[in-house]
Amino acid sequence: MSLVMVSCSDDDISSEGGEGSENPDAISKYVITASPLASEGVADYILTSSSLTEGEISVVGNGVEQDGTYRYYITNNNKFFSLLYGQGNPGAVTTYQLGTDGNLDMISDFQAETVQSFTNVGDEVLMTKISRNTDSPYADWYRLDTETSQIVGEGQINTQEIVADEELAFFSWMTEVGGKVYAPFMPIKGCCDDSFGTSNPDKAYVAVYSYPEMELETLIEDERTSFIGRYFTSGLEVDENGDAYAFSSSIASTAGEFSSTKPSAITRINAGTTEFDQSYFFNLEQASGGYYVTAQKYASNGKFVVFMEPNATKGSYTLGKKIAIVDVYTQEFNWVTGTPSAEAITNITSNNYTSEDGSTVHIGITTDQGSYVYNVNVSAAQATQGILVEGGNITAISKLSSVEQN
Amino acid sequence: MQYKSYYVTTLLFFALSLMYGQSSVITGKVLDENQLPVLGASVSLKEISKGTMTDENGNFSLKGNFEGTYTLEISFVGFQTYSEKISIKSSRTEVKDVELKIGYDLEEVTISAKSKIQEIEALAYNVDVVDATKLHNTTLDVGHALDRVSGIRIRENGGVGSRMQLSMNGFRGNQVKVFIDGIPMENFGSSFQLNNLPINLAERVEVFKGVVPVSLGSDALGGAINIVTNTYDENYLDLSYSYGSFNTHRTNVNAVFVDKNDFTIQINAFQNFSDNNYKVTVDAADLKTGEYFRDQKLERFHDQYHNETFIGKFGWVKKSFADQLLFGVTLGQNYKEIQTGARLVAVYGARHTKGNIIMPSLRYVKKDLFTKGLDVKLSANYNLGKERVIDTLNRRYNWFGDFKEEDTPGGELSYTDLEFQNNNGIVVASADYKINEKHAISVSNSFNTFDRKQWNYLNDEAQVYDDPQKSQKNVLGLAYSYVGGDWNATGFLKNYNQLNKFEESYNPTGDYGDVAYRYQEDNFNDFGYGAAATYFFTENLQVKASYEKSFRLALPEEIYGDGGVLLLGNTDLKPETSNNFNVGAGYWFNLGSVKHLVNIDGTVFYRDSKDFIRPTLNNNQVYQVMDNLADATNLGVEAQVRYNYNNRLLVGANVTYQDLRNNTQFEDGQTIESIVYKDRIPNMPYLYGNGNISYNINNVLGKENVLSLDYNLTYVHAFYRYWPSLGGEGKFGIPEQISHDMNASLKVDKFQFTLECRNIFDQKMYDNFSLQKPGRSFTGKIRYVL
Repeated sequence: MSLVMVSCSDDDISSEGGEGSENPDAISKYVITASPLASEGVADYILTSSSLTEGEISVVGNGVEQDGTYRYYITNNNKFFSLLYGQGNPGAVTTYQLGTDGNLDMISDFQAETVQSFTNVGDEVLMTKISRNTDSPYADWYRLDTETSQIVGEGQINTQEIVADEELAFFSWMTEVGGKVYAPFMPIKGCCDDSFGTSNPDKAYVAVYSYPEMELETLIEDERTSFIGRYFTSGLEVDENGDAYAFSSSIASTAGEFSSTKPSAITRINAGTTEFDQSYFFNLEQASGGYYVTAQKYASNGKFVVFMEPNATKGSYTLGKKIAIVDVYTQEFNWVTGTPSAEAITNITSNNYTSEDGSTVHIGITTDQGSYVYNVNVSAAQATQGILVEGGNITAISKLSSVEQN
Repeated sequence: MQYKSYYVTTLLFFALSLMYGQSSVITGKVLDENQLPVLGASVSLKEISKGTMTDENGNFSLKGNFEGTYTLEISFVGFQTYSEKISIKSSRTEVKDVELKIGYDLEEVTISAKSKIQEIEALAYNVDVVDATKLHNTTLDVGHALDRVSGIRIRENGGVGSRMQLSMNGFRGNQVKVFIDGIPMENFGSSFQLNNLPINLAERVEVFKGVVPVSLGSDALGGAINIVTNTYDENYLDLSYSYGSFNTHRTNVNAVFVDKNDFTIQINAFQNFSDNNYKVTVDAADLKTGEYFRDQKLERFHDQYHNETFIGKFGWVKKSFADQLLFGVTLGQNYKEIQTGARLVAVYGARHTKGNIIMPSLRYVKKDLFTKGLDVKLSANYNLGKERVIDTLNRRYNWFGDFKEEDTPGGELSYTDLEFQNNNGIVVASADYKINEKHAISVSNSFNTFDRKQWNYLNDEAQVYDDPQKSQKNVLGLAYSYVGGDWNATGFLKNYNQLNKFEESYNPTGDYGDVAYRYQEDNFNDFGYGAAATYFFTENLQVKASYEKSFRLALPEEIYGDGGVLLLGNTDLKPETSNNFNVGAGYWFNLGSVKHLVNIDGTVFYRDSKDFIRPTLNNNQVYQVMDNLADATNLGVEAQVRYNYNNRLLVGANVTYQDLRNNTQFEDGQTIESIVYKDRIPNMPYLYGNGNISYNINNVLGKENVLSLDYNLTYVHAFYRYWPSLGGEGKFGIPEQISHDMNASLKVDKFQFTLECRNIFDQKMYDNFSLQKPGRSFTGKIRYVL
């Protein structure tokens, strides 16, 4: 594939390279991971592409094979980390850089635990393994130094001691907010045939930890929404002002029934504070006409791409197939046009990519016709079909710039 | 038509075993020109048409009401028929050793003197028979003996006692059913499995590929393995002990007592112990930083396995009310440390499992019940054994054996101390009726019941939610068979029925301790069918063809889960189905002289299978769930050549190639074709084979002593772990593997001394997902047979 594309799209590869690149010769490439649809023998493949707007790439005879199904990816420090989800077993995390020849180079691998949350905190990755069982109510955290690809710190959190009534805190995800780690969690019973059920379906919680000590500093609560985020899904995002916006799906359950009486909504924790801003409330259910939010991707200037699903088909693990743009500053809500209909979508990527200028969000969508990257113009709330990814579901989209090899 | 006479012989043999209250017995021994015992020689008294066959030691015994002078005739393939007048006066007559001379009338005796093994292989089914008696001097377990059969690969996770997965012509795991004396070994538990059954327990192992006779009444998708245990109608004792690398000890005792009234006691006891501390080459992680130290050659440090099993039976043989009426019990236990997860990167230092088996059994066999030609068989057993999984140390180990520990409750994989009892009962009944010499019908029924109870030792209160889990399965088969002159054929119909009755517990309010039950019932009922035929063009050329439409019903574990260890249940599972075709031919000839016997046979097979049950992950990706996910086709060929020089040199080789292809055209609601449609199914060996040479030398270090040398080679072609068509350079694969095993065995009187070396060249051997198997190992064995 040619490295130089002649096109005017804003996704084009410019010779300026990616973020923070000082090398004028550096090139940059999009990294797309794909997981073939098959019932066995499935490995993920890492592909690279110079453009997301056109053309096609395939995993047939192409791509870097990853050892093991169910991998998760995170980019930090211009490195691409591939984590194995090993169902409780530790696994090898492989680290890739983009070489000046445009190929991915594996620079290291190291062992890490299977975790349910991994997030960038500065140039470290904080990984957390979280208990779902009262028999052993602990979360273990690990700090990964992305420079050396080694674990530089670890510790344990008793998740039963965070809320008063013995329910466990199951962190939905963790987010760096102003140098600290804000950890929204789902309160769960962790027992009695209702593991992920709760008696507190109408409350939002965020545990605030110091970093790198990971000591609990305070617990923020709010009674206007249910919990923030979802299993394995971030629900807290920070804007350019340092304010954190909290997304609640309202999917708390009790005895297998959705039990929250609160709407799916966005709330806010202002920069420098450790409480919810009681003056701010954005009712998404109302704005969308009966939908709830399942995930979001920040673009810029208060604009988010949100993944919505009708309340009627509420699910704990569902990723919404209807895409909208919300402006959390103006509380505007606009459905995105140009994507396949929700009924036609069989899979939607959860690990998507926002362009450097914040104007476009690139989302992987699979329909019965195959998988494409859709490029969502945030200000126009308009999506266009981009590159065809032959070979299965797109599991992540990211970008790397090349690095001189040592 | 000489091969007709074989059936006559068989009938005579059966007729003979019906004689009760015999007053005299004729015993003797049949040897070849090299003084080696002849197995399967036909021995008969010509005048009264009574006969028998010789056993592995060449011995025979004829019981009956004999008086006067008879002609004793002994015949075997490749030898001249021996004939002698004997007069019987006393109740016990011993004939002096008979030495058979190499014969020149081979054609005359080719089929009539077939051994039981040849007899089964001559059936229309695609069947291989392993003569286990030839392996009794080795230290193989039944599983590893099967690994030498064409078309079969045994895949295992490590050394002695490691979990074995069988694959046969592209089917694997529970798609292939294993039987012991015709009883399915489903849910016998971990204490009684292919990986711990010593080969000495078996007389032969029958391997049916693709088409399974109704007599093995169960639901097998693509094949069945029937382990036929030793039967002796006289006193017998066989003791053996072996010691080898990795602190491996194995003992086997096989004792049979028969009194004058044909009351018999049979005892079979065996033990395996191994530290399995062989070295593996791994990247060992620093527990603190996660950094890998590359290519460390380290000992496995938490892989001890031991099992002890006792099988006792008592009852009567050859009585008027029963040919066999045996009451028995199987008692056993095992302990197994778990060194790794599904890959070497996951290493444990304390997780382990335990299991036991307490299984009473009953066996009743009667020929000519009520009327001549009606043979019935009934077997039943009930397993009260339990299995326990223990993971209660909150540690993380690395390959150096170092660990870090948290002082909070937890486990290495998942904090677990769980025990369950499956209360599995099986009743197999069959009846065969020979209408006349040409036509026979058989009916067979296999009933299986399952009722799981489980105990959670970490949390008594959690037990409130353990579901009552019950399942019943019934497979009924009906077959008609025709035995003609040049050909025989069989057609059959099988009914599969599964009734799952269970109550599913749930928490109705979300309040702690609340429990309610939802009653569920699922019923599956369907029919499978098949046919098999064989035709002899000449006495030396046989062709076979067979077909079956088969089902494999979901197992209780797949329906209900494994109690929350790794597998969640799926009560919506459908059975797997397959259409299996086989066409094969066998040819026997000699190279100039009957001293050089050659046998060639080959089979082409085709499988078209749907709804393969495969694991997928549940919603939060913590547990596996079984689902009907894949369709596959497999077109394959297997071939074997055997050469026998004068019963002293045996050379054999087999090779299997299978083109196992993904036949799932559209995945997961897609309308575009799957990119791996028609691709080769990954992580499955597809070209593999075995070679074997054995040579017997007489009079070594003394007269009568026999030295046997045996060499075995195993070859597996390289294969990919993930879909072959996908990905660029640097795909994960398993390289070509070649292993050489040697075995030398010296027989001195009643003792047999064996030295064995497996994997002589210390090649790296791999298995599932590149788990490494043991390198070079040495074993010594002493066996005593009375």
